[in-house]
Amino acid sequence: MNTESLIAGFFTCDLNTLVCVIGYVLCGLIGLIGIAILWLIYDGTIDLSRLISEPNGDASMSRFQFLVFTFVISLSLFLVIVAGKEGENKPSFPDSIPAGILTLLGISGSSYAVGKAIQFSDPAGVEDRPIAVTVSPATATVKYGQKQQFTAEVTRQPGANVKWEIIAGPPAPLDAKIDATGLLIAPAGPSMPPAPHATVKVSLVDDPSISDLAVVTFFTA
Amino acid sequence: MKGFLLALFGIVAGQLFTGQINTKNFLYGRKSDAGQPFVDANGVRRLKKENTLYFSPERVQLLMFTLSAAFYYLTQVMNNPNPGTLPDVPNSWTATMGGSNAIYLGGKALARFWPRDDAAKGNIS
Repeated sequence: MNTESLIAGFFTCDLNTLVCVIGYVLCGLIGLIGIAILWLIYDGTIDLSRLISEPNGDASMSRFQFLVFTFVISLSLFLVIVAGKEGENKPSFPDSIPAGILTLLGISGSSYAVGKAIQFSDPAGVEDRPIAVTVSPATATVKYGQKQQFTAEVTRQPGANVKWEIIAGPPAPLDAKIDATGLLIAPAGPSMPPAPHATVKVSLVDDPSISDLAVVTFFTA
Repeated sequence: MKGFLLALFGIVAGQLFTGQINTKNFLYGRKSDAGQPFVDANGVRRLKKENTLYFSPERVQLLMFTLSAAFYYLTQVMNNPNPGTLPDVPNSWTATMGGSNAIYLGGKALARFWPRDDAAKGNIS
């Protein structure tokens, strides 16, 4: 059906043409929705980062399986519809859905549901792990005058700003120092009285109550 | 529609490979032993703060069978001798996926109901 006959049929209220036009309009709307979804995913409004994550932050194998089967079957269904039936030159739905596919989807869905039930029976399985900071290494032995690099891993908020400080250690002027990158500079030499230990603290700038400690021991050669 | 599906698949696959979609501990399970006593590196008895991670063979086998089944079915669709019909899944594959999921759930249940020593909890700070 070409455009001219579509327009002519529309204005004469031909039923088949009306159905055809409505079909095209619906297809256009669905296409726009699809484009909008893709755009929202691209600009980050629809966040897929936890697409296969469980509530506690770990990735879920059953969700991943569900995702894979959904993609495979929907793509397969689309390819079959577009191919059309043998001998016909137009798209058409298959006459039936094979029982094996339904069984496979049922197995995947049941496995997902049972997995959730097992997980939800443990409160730790549904609680979102709190934001925490972990310093590495937790203990270090550093020669006087040398340097030691510490790193901080912030779970659930990887880009968070952290603050480094020495909360206990040798007194000035032979005190240990640490910069904003976590690089500790050991004192030039032992202090009097001896204080061969220091405590490094890293905390979140936005929430100083979230912190972790590391213990450093200084030694001479 | 095909373009939408392929674009969505491409986005999801790309984000999976680049790490934008979280896949942390994808092949690891957790034993329900939070609060159980253990001896730390300094010889101090403490209580575990969260469930212990363990490398999960049941997840690995489920991943392998899932990807194999998906790839197999897509090849069946591409080489379908009867266009316009969905190829059926052989019973062997259905049984295999059922068994694989049963193994996965069995391992998950075992980790969840791991033997616990709740009596020790009150004796350790």
